[in-house]
Amino acid sequence: MQSLTRTLAFAGALALTTLAGCRNDASSPDPGSSGVTSCSGIGIDPQPPKTSPVTLPVLGVGLDTVRYTAEIAVRGNLAYTTTWNVRRVQGNKVNIWDVSGGCPVVVDSLIVNGVITTGDIAISDDGKTLVVATETSNGSIVTYDLTDPRHPQLLTRFITPETSNGVHTAEIGRVNGKLYGFLSIDPGGTGPAHLVIVDLSQPAAPKQVFVKQVGSPYVHDTYQRDGLLFVALWNDGMDIWDIGGGGKGGTPESPVVLGNVKTLGGEVHNVWWYHDASGAKKYAFVGEEGPGSIGSTSRGDIHVVDVSDLTKPREVAFFHTDGAGTHNFSVDEAKGVLYAAYYNGGVRAIDVRGDLGTCPPSQQFFDGPSGLTRCDLRAMGRELGVGLKELNRTVYVWGVQYLNGSLYASDMMNGIWKLGPAK
Amino acid sequence: MRIWHLVTVAGLGLARDSSAQTVSVAAQAIPLVTRADPTATRTALNEGYVSQPVVMAHAAWSVLRGVGMYNFEGYTLRRGELSTGGFGEGFVDRRHPHAYVHELLGGVEGTKFGVLASAFVGRGFAPFGSDDPMVRPFEKYPINHHYSQILERVVAIGAVQRGPVIAEVGTFNGDEPLGPGTAPNYGRFGDSWSSRITVLPLAGVELSGSIARVRSPEQRTATGLDQHKSSLVGRYALQTPVSARYALVEWARTNELDRGETITSLSSVLAEGAYCRAGIIVAARAERTERPEEERLDDPFRTPRPSLDLSNLGISRWTAFTLSLSSPAARAGVFSARPFIEVARLHAAAGNPPGIFNPELRYGANWMWMMSVGARLVAGMPHLRMGRYGAALPTADLGTHSAHDGSHNMPGMPDMPSGAHDMPPVAPPAPPPSFQCSL
Repeated sequence: MQSLTRTLAFAGALALTTLAGCRNDASSPDPGSSGVTSCSGIGIDPQPPKTSPVTLPVLGVGLDTVRYTAEIAVRGNLAYTTTWNVRRVQGNKVNIWDVSGGCPVVVDSLIVNGVITTGDIAISDDGKTLVVATETSNGSIVTYDLTDPRHPQLLTRFITPETSNGVHTAEIGRVNGKLYGFLSIDPGGTGPAHLVIVDLSQPAAPKQVFVKQVGSPYVHDTYQRDGLLFVALWNDGMDIWDIGGGGKGGTPESPVVLGNVKTLGGEVHNVWWYHDASGAKKYAFVGEEGPGSIGSTSRGDIHVVDVSDLTKPREVAFFHTDGAGTHNFSVDEAKGVLYAAYYNGGVRAIDVRGDLGTCPPSQQFFDGPSGLTRCDLRAMGRELGVGLKELNRTVYVWGVQYLNGSLYASDMMNGIWKLGPAK
Repeated sequence: MRIWHLVTVAGLGLARDSSAQTVSVAAQAIPLVTRADPTATRTALNEGYVSQPVVMAHAAWSVLRGVGMYNFEGYTLRRGELSTGGFGEGFVDRRHPHAYVHELLGGVEGTKFGVLASAFVGRGFAPFGSDDPMVRPFEKYPINHHYSQILERVVAIGAVQRGPVIAEVGTFNGDEPLGPGTAPNYGRFGDSWSSRITVLPLAGVELSGSIARVRSPEQRTATGLDQHKSSLVGRYALQTPVSARYALVEWARTNELDRGETITSLSSVLAEGAYCRAGIIVAARAERTERPEEERLDDPFRTPRPSLDLSNLGISRWTAFTLSLSSPAARAGVFSARPFIEVARLHAAAGNPPGIFNPELRYGANWMWMMSVGARLVAGMPHLRMGRYGAALPTADLGTHSAHDGSHNMPGMPDMPSGAHDMPPVAPPAPPPSFQCSL
């Protein structure tokens, strides 16, 4: 017995020593290229580092089991959540939550008449305007004045023949000082999917300035930053448009397509262009929304696209979770943590610091049909945390937002969760 | 009124033939009232319509064949027909109106070396599954319609029949119709295929197995989920001088695939039978079918087409029992009218995965009723079988029917080669199919 104990102790010490020697420096900006080198002469790659994602602490939940909760937008101590389709009643409501404490508390709500989904929601960067997208028929955006953010006041409902199929998402952003809305329109009765850009410099009187048929068969989302517009075109991949910051003369009224990438698997749903703490702008994260069953299953990876050359973006890495697929993102850019809503997979926190496109062979994945070799962020040990999976209840997380040290997650089944960060 | 005109016109054109050619025209319409309690509105609804208003025609000249069916449901069932549990083509709990051009095919058929062979091209049924519900003894379609038939496609079908074995293979466009008047996506012709083997082991008995690979049926642009379908069918029909019997059992499965990986598996089992004596028809059907639940539009009977993304709300499992009673038909010349009453009891439950489907939330109940009262109006000799063409039609010397009594080969047609199973021509036209017996 003593011999066995000694043997186990020795083996354990050896393992710990080895592990310690191979671990990344916590301060390292690049855990993926940790200096581990292959030993020559033996055909075995270095083993991927063992990781143990932390459980993101749950601070509280604000329940809504009357409607299915959809997207979330947080500013200050208030969170706004939309609602989707029909549960006990239709999803025509926007809930306003006070999230200053652990448990979000409803302080008011908005009702949009004549819709069954208030799917997307966004707050302008100056905090003055709230924009809500509506589906399915009578698709529109509804703008609210946030002078009193706890009790928004309706400004207008903007509906045109180009929006009436349904506004799937409405992102807003400023280009050369002017606020614009970027509306992804569903395919349907009045034609195929298209993108509508709206001048929101007067939120009470939006003005449509651009329409283009895009997407195969959908355009699901956009991401605007620094005068570039990243457009999620489903099976047509991701476009990068110059709308004022690309140096090609593009404007919101007349965008110029700079580049496109078709990520593996298509079904491009959403994008986040990552500006890291050092100012690097090398990567865009692309969400793939595969088929699933709401409340039960989902599919789809996070794809990492190197956009160093905006005209030739290329996929260099991915993050896969068995049994679950990703939806919307939020990034703590200061700390380099990507938070991803993962539907039935809860919330995932991923370390996105440093070089994501370089990894040893053991952390690479080769896709035969495309001939593409990508780094596997999971094999690289970059999953930092998992949220809401430890709960003994069904979750189906639509959206996340990281803000000021807290993470907020909208859950179709339960409402809104407040969680602690991964780090 | 429009329907009556059509029936009249159809009657005028009925069964004109000569020794060189044969043309046969018929028409059908079913005015009815349906009560669904509850349905997708969580309330009871009573509605009336003219269902299955069709004009159909067959033509034969030497080895050439023609088949056509024009379906007027786009005019009479624009909102769909109450059919709790039913789904497809953007409708749910209502049956969608079929395409105006339901069938329009031309073909050749002949016998060589004891093998009856045919080739058909046009718009119609792919060789798969069981007969279309329109020619079965119930007014309401079964829930599994879209698992057990592939219809209204641009098809090219080859079939051979030798002895008791029939083999078919066909290719077609995968996209299902977007609406009654929407043309198929001709550019997708050939992206899907199906095949069916039928064995006729005993008099009146058919056993068939089918498989199909259907590319993106619900996304016209071929960017949606593919379907792998399979079906097993046993069918029995026998008509005697005083009675008629019919029975069908089927199993069908549709797997939905994303890039080759099965995402959803949907199955159905169904058994139905009918007995006719003294002109009275009693029919019963039991069915268990899984249904994909989809996001609904403001109209609770509609789902987005194309769907807004590739998510669904889960799977529901439906159990349905249907009873039908028809009185003897009233006849006047080529016209007949057969009143009927049909009652269905349906149960909905969460399937696997359940997703967020909850029958209590959706319908306000787990158990639902559906009752219909109407009359089947017929002028001439309608299709007896639907879903098979040319050599794929089981011949009658096995005791099931008159010669070539299938949907597209009227009995008694002169100059109609019937291959290994030649029967003497029968004139005047044979009685209606067994479950519409006029005894």
